[in-house]
Amino acid sequence: MHLILTSTPHLTPVPISTGVATALVALLMLGHIQFAAFQQGGYIILAVTDFMGWKRRNPHYDRFSKGLVTVLGATFAVGGSLAIFAVMVLFLGLWSHFFVTLERILFWPFVAEAAAFVGEIICLYPLYARWDQLGRVRGLRVGLELLLFINASIQMLMINVVASYMLTPRPAFNLPLILMNPTEIPLEMHRFVGNIAFAGAMVALVAGIRLLWRSRQQLHRAYLDWMGHYGLMWAVGFTIAQPLVGWEYAKEIQLHAYASWYEMMLGGLSVAFLFQVFLLGAIFTVGIFYLWRRVRVSGFRSPALAVCTALSFAAWLLISTPSSLAWSYESVFAANANVPIWQGGLLIPWGQMIPWKLTALIVFTGVAITAITVYAVHLSRGRLHWGDAGRGQAISLITVGVAISLIMALMGYIREDSRGPFLITNHMLINQQQNYTPPSTSGPALNGPASNLGAMAPTRTGP
Amino acid sequence: MPDQELAISQRRMSRRKFMTLGIQATGAGIGLLIGAPIVGSILSPAFYKGRYPWVMVADIQHVPVGVPTAYVVLMDQGGDAWQVPPVPRTVYVVKLNLNGKVQLITLSNVCTHMQCDVHWDINLNVFLCPCHGGLYSIDGTNIGGPPPQPLFRYQHKLVGNTLYVRNVLTEG
Amino acid sequence: MAAERSRLAGRLSRPFAGIMATTYRWVDERLGVTDLVHQLLYEAVPRRGAWAYSLGSATLILIVNQIVTGMFLLWTYVPSTTEAWESLNFTERHDEFGAIVRGMHLWGAYVLFVVIGLHMVRTFVSGSYKKPRELNWIVGVVLFLLVLGLGITGAMLPWDQAAYWTATVVTHVVEYFPIFGTQLQEILRGGPQMGPATLTRFFAIHIWLLPALLVPLIGLHLILLRRHGEHGSWVNYEGVEEETAEERARRMAHVEYPYPAIPSDPGYAVPVDLDEFFPSQVFKDSVVSFGLVLLIFVMAVVVGAPLERAANPAALNYVPTPEWFFLPLDQMLVQFPQAWMIPVGVFIVPGIGTTLLILVPFLDRTPGREPWRRPEVMIPALFVVLFLVFEALLAVNRLFNL
Repeated sequence: MHLILTSTPHLTPVPISTGVATALVALLMLGHIQFAAFQQGGYIILAVTDFMGWKRRNPHYDRFSKGLVTVLGATFAVGGSLAIFAVMVLFLGLWSHFFVTLERILFWPFVAEAAAFVGEIICLYPLYARWDQLGRVRGLRVGLELLLFINASIQMLMINVVASYMLTPRPAFNLPLILMNPTEIPLEMHRFVGNIAFAGAMVALVAGIRLLWRSRQQLHRAYLDWMGHYGLMWAVGFTIAQPLVGWEYAKEIQLHAYASWYEMMLGGLSVAFLFQVFLLGAIFTVGIFYLWRRVRVSGFRSPALAVCTALSFAAWLLISTPSSLAWSYESVFAANANVPIWQGGLLIPWGQMIPWKLTALIVFTGVAITAITVYAVHLSRGRLHWGDAGRGQAISLITVGVAISLIMALMGYIREDSRGPFLITNHMLINQQQNYTPPSTSGPALNGPASNLGAMAPTRTGP
Repeated sequence: MPDQELAISQRRMSRRKFMTLGIQATGAGIGLLIGAPIVGSILSPAFYKGRYPWVMVADIQHVPVGVPTAYVVLMDQGGDAWQVPPVPRTVYVVKLNLNGKVQLITLSNVCTHMQCDVHWDINLNVFLCPCHGGLYSIDGTNIGGPPPQPLFRYQHKLVGNTLYVRNVLTEG
Repeated sequence: MAAERSRLAGRLSRPFAGIMATTYRWVDERLGVTDLVHQLLYEAVPRRGAWAYSLGSATLILIVNQIVTGMFLLWTYVPSTTEAWESLNFTERHDEFGAIVRGMHLWGAYVLFVVIGLHMVRTFVSGSYKKPRELNWIVGVVLFLLVLGLGITGAMLPWDQAAYWTATVVTHVVEYFPIFGTQLQEILRGGPQMGPATLTRFFAIHIWLLPALLVPLIGLHLILLRRHGEHGSWVNYEGVEEETAEERARRMAHVEYPYPAIPSDPGYAVPVDLDEFFPSQVFKDSVVSFGLVLLIFVMAVVVGAPLERAANPAALNYVPTPEWFFLPLDQMLVQFPQAWMIPVGVFIVPGIGTTLLILVPFLDRTPGREPWRRPEVMIPALFVVLFLVFEALLAVNRLFNL
């Protein structure tokens, strides 16, 4: 690591202030993530839908997969061009020293990343341009879609190696250790599941908007109603795994990058994280509410789904309770108010992570599985009539879509920002990118802050 | 005649009933006689009583301040089963300087979560349990992860500068 | 039936001539060997999907492998804290065949867990637990739990570092049991701390208590299987819900032992197409079992069974890693931290899971057999499997980086 840092020539960046450079990269990458996530999740939804349309002969499946492939062709172009712009212009121009260093350490993952792009283009554009002709050999078309998904998954795996490495680095040149760095597998699982849920939620969002503002025609409404339900099943179904994986992800950050964990959970980002779990509660509660009402508008009462909605709502209230009436735990200490609120302090005991927020997460998981199961029973008994959905369902679908889109953006912001002064935890500071001085032989500037990590309140260095 | 037959059959029935009862009673007796000692022998460890002598650890003048130091001590198991030889255990001797007053803590390195082996992590400045990621501060307070309570402490006493511990644990 | 029986008697005595054949007849008249073999080999089984139905017999063969190799491990193993590790270390260093037997015992257990899992998934997906086979499902679940118990107690016996710390964690879990926690732990350990009594206890549990429960239950499992006949899966009952009364009557006219399964949902008493257990099914069973035993043998010779350093209660930096089939449970210890949440993670959640697993036949009341027509059990099961896989992956990552 030290060798790489010292042997990388310093490249003076374009003279733009750190704040502006950070904001530019953040905006572009947050946009790119929305497209890329939709891409990866969309491919597996496409493959499954096309397969179902083949086997079950439901016209909705065929219509949906044809529409989805057109959208995916377009979003791939936009998302890809955003990524190229970020790499070619912003990273190389504004963060040149950092990016070249990273590129040298993670050369092979970047190569695999780029190679997967080629595979993705080869698979996607035939589907985009010759959808109906390929439909004559249905197995081949489904196979191509699966290949597309595998390609996108490799791509995501590689970029996750980069992202997780920056948070919890391992010795450079040791590729197996870098590939298995402490947060790589949790991040991979978190995003893998999250991308599919995100793509489903985007489908639900589009269906919700179109249900609300267009299409008085009954046949069209039936399709949109089905599409909303279909997208929401993907969205809620895959979000169920997120509390478990996210918990473990945070746990690994706590063990291997304590300062970042502290910043997220108790420090300056804790309010953002609270909003994050508020959004998670919204996805579950509104999603389960939709399932309950969707069964109801087709004429079936479901007390089980009503109870699930109520439980989810209670868990939502619990998880959204702040643990203190302050921006961070440090300010609670500073105000000397480290006692519960009824003793004149700032702490709210039932806002604490353990056991209350964790209980809420467990409740969400159990309730959502129950709700999906009950809904699927209604569905399999043929009790749902497509076209019944009203404004309430449309608004629920839109809410879930917006919440997942926001949660994606916010999560990216929190993860990147939690490294605080570092670009690569404990190894490269943000100001080293901007005002670079070659380190001395032992490099004390690089290793200095590491010794503070065990303290409950780490000192912030840098800008 | 029918009365006599009925009486005989009733006597037979009661004889039959008696034998059935007898079979059940002796069966239960066999089960009890075999079962009771077995259950007793299974449960007996819950009622063991042990005695724990003091064991010498170190001269505390050699223990650095503010850095937990591990000593392997041969702990007596309190007459555990038939094993006479004591078992090696790690004792973390922590010397803290609190406003000029020296405090001595003898921590067990057994995690309070699932009893795995805890060690002092010099990078994180915490006691880290490798089993499930439990974290303890320098005085053994649980500050993160699953542990439900602080690290246990061995009873210790000072004779001059020599530190003794014994295999009796107190809550930290 | 009678003609078949005399054919069989002829076949069984064919290798013997003259005096030998006479002797065989003498013995057969007194012991009824021919009747026994006939009863074991001749039954009807579903024709389609037969390869998937070989998993049960594969499980049986693997358990026999465990019992046989286990017996011969006892020739060198000494159940004592001072000598257990030494005796196995001697085996590994100086007794090449003993080391292979040990390897086959370990890899046999690993393969057994995979095959039992697949067997359960197969039974679950095909809805084979439905009327009248509910009790056989429950016996199967109990067998699965016994095998899990055998796996974890067996892992403690080498008394190397891995075994010692596994035993420490496993016996400490019960301390979180309300009220009697401490006593339970002392009973399991044979004292307040890990010691010689701990090892002898788990040794006894592993080689006597659990096998003594396992073997009769396997017998019950097979007797019940024979009583109702192999159910198969939905491919063996295609179209039975649409058939007319005459069609069904015509089909029932060709019923063979051990069918019909009674009481069953209409149409599901007999599979549509039948085959002979011997030789069709037995052949497939043998091929699968041979493949698995070969795999075990190769793994035993090439990889063998690891033996870490002897147990050291004063260890400082040792990272205890549970056996892979316990990784999801181990990971749950991380997910349920501190105070009253730990009992939730170690007792309530696995307890609810086990209860639901036992109650599956009573939760699934639908008449259909296709998995997509039974979402009330398929969807929760899908999530449970997904969670187990996720937990195992997360545990691998956590342990790799510590």
